[in-house]
Amino acid sequence: MKLGAGAFIAGAASRLLPPSIPFRFFGAAVAYHLLAWIALFAGAQGVPRFAGGLGWPLAALHLLTLGVLAMTAIGASLQLLPVATRQPVRSKRWPAMIWWLYTPGVAAVALGMGMPAPRLLAGGAVAVVTALGGYALLLARNLVGARGMPVIVAHGWAALGSLIVVLATALSLACAYLGFPGFERGMALSLHAAFAAYGFMGLLALGLSYILVPMFALSAAPDERRAWVSLTLAVIALLLSAAASSGVAQQPLRMAAIGAGTLAVALHLRLMSVALKTGMRRELGRSFTLVRIAWALLVASLVAALGVAMDAPFAGMATLFGILLIGGWLLTFLVGILQRIMPFLASMHAAPGKRLPPTPSSLTAQRPLSIHFVCHLAALGLLALAVAIDSERVASAGALVGSAGAAAFAGFFLIVLRRMSAPDLKAGRRQASAG
Amino acid sequence: MNASAPDGRQALGKRWVEADGVHIDVRGLLPPAPLVAILDLVGSIGDTTPVIVHHERDPQMLYPELAEIGWRAVRIDGAPGEVRLKLERVR
Repeated sequence: MKLGAGAFIAGAASRLLPPSIPFRFFGAAVAYHLLAWIALFAGAQGVPRFAGGLGWPLAALHLLTLGVLAMTAIGASLQLLPVATRQPVRSKRWPAMIWWLYTPGVAAVALGMGMPAPRLLAGGAVAVVTALGGYALLLARNLVGARGMPVIVAHGWAALGSLIVVLATALSLACAYLGFPGFERGMALSLHAAFAAYGFMGLLALGLSYILVPMFALSAAPDERRAWVSLTLAVIALLLSAAASSGVAQQPLRMAAIGAGTLAVALHLRLMSVALKTGMRRELGRSFTLVRIAWALLVASLVAALGVAMDAPFAGMATLFGILLIGGWLLTFLVGILQRIMPFLASMHAAPGKRLPPTPSSLTAQRPLSIHFVCHLAALGLLALAVAIDSERVASAGALVGSAGAAAFAGFFLIVLRRMSAPDLKAGRRQASAG
Repeated sequence: MNASAPDGRQALGKRWVEADGVHIDVRGLLPPAPLVAILDLVGSIGDTTPVIVHHERDPQMLYPELAEIGWRAVRIDGAPGEVRLKLERVR
């Protein structure tokens, strides 16, 4: 039997999730990315000394964490984890339902925080928690009985455990605004921040990196034993941080957590460095420049965390820590990876009916990415400066530059979509289905 | 002719040459080793010699990479449970 390339690749594509699933999550993330910077501009006055509380800075933070980071994590993990688990996502309706619940839920949470409107916030929180609970079940179903790549699967389980802590504390914090306190606020905040950023998002990022970085660098899989040690240290760090949240021996426990986290990160970065140095593809372009910067800022976030734990005599320390962790590490890493993944997935999905699938490079528009690169890094620099000198004007400038970068990134995404569904591809698909 | 990768290079798969092209068996390798092994072999071929891939699953991540370097994949008959691909240079 010899099948035509089109028919064969169509068969391959049918085993992927339909493109509408990952791309709807990516599309929403791209939109919330822009909205997050706009919300930050609206709340620029409170940015340099932000320490929590309802308002536009908190809305911007959650547009980033829920709207961009978690939204992308859901879309990317549903598409990529099956590579590690060797199990397809069994339901195609669940991810779509999760998106329909989660996307407006994030908008309600952000508006509820920004306006502020506690009832809207609570309604949005219920939708978000329900949607993320559904995602947790979907993820668990895929991880149960996974075959192969156990260390990546273990990262998935650890991220899932962290997500449960994040959801419980999120509900408690949201209910507190309605006068129904759950956990003690300080403890809930501390657990929520650590388990959301370093736990759920961080562990997913580290775990998926063991697939993505070698795949893009074309290198051997990283040393599994060291990856296990890194994961174990990361989990220990999270547990120590959880213990510190209880208020007992807070400072030594936090410092121990930072120490374990630093060792975990050092091992992970060593493995990534080996993959990049030994890979067949040495030139990885702008996207991996962002990834490298993100890794540096992950380390910087741990240094800032130490400053917070030691009560450094600088009023903006906690804000700077947040900027380094969320904007510097997680957002920079994500936009770096996303600009590589989206054309790659688009190429896989656009293949049916073509003699050759469109190349990822032909689907990538470089100009918007160049603009985004400069704006993103400048915006982060300006925000850090705004915190350092306690300047609302500099924070506003940072948010404006960040908005310009996010708009450029949205342009890149729209171009990928347009090129992916170019008329000749549609004609090719019709031809393939007729044949 | 058997052209298996030498000891210590198992991650590059088992390779041999037959009349229909250069064969590579990547079954049993964990991702991304099959992708790396196949692209390593394809990159070493300077002419139009086809590559026959013996795989245990559909290597979806491979196709964009092949397209980028001007190759394409066509599925051909293989043993039960095997995904066998013929890779050809198209430009």
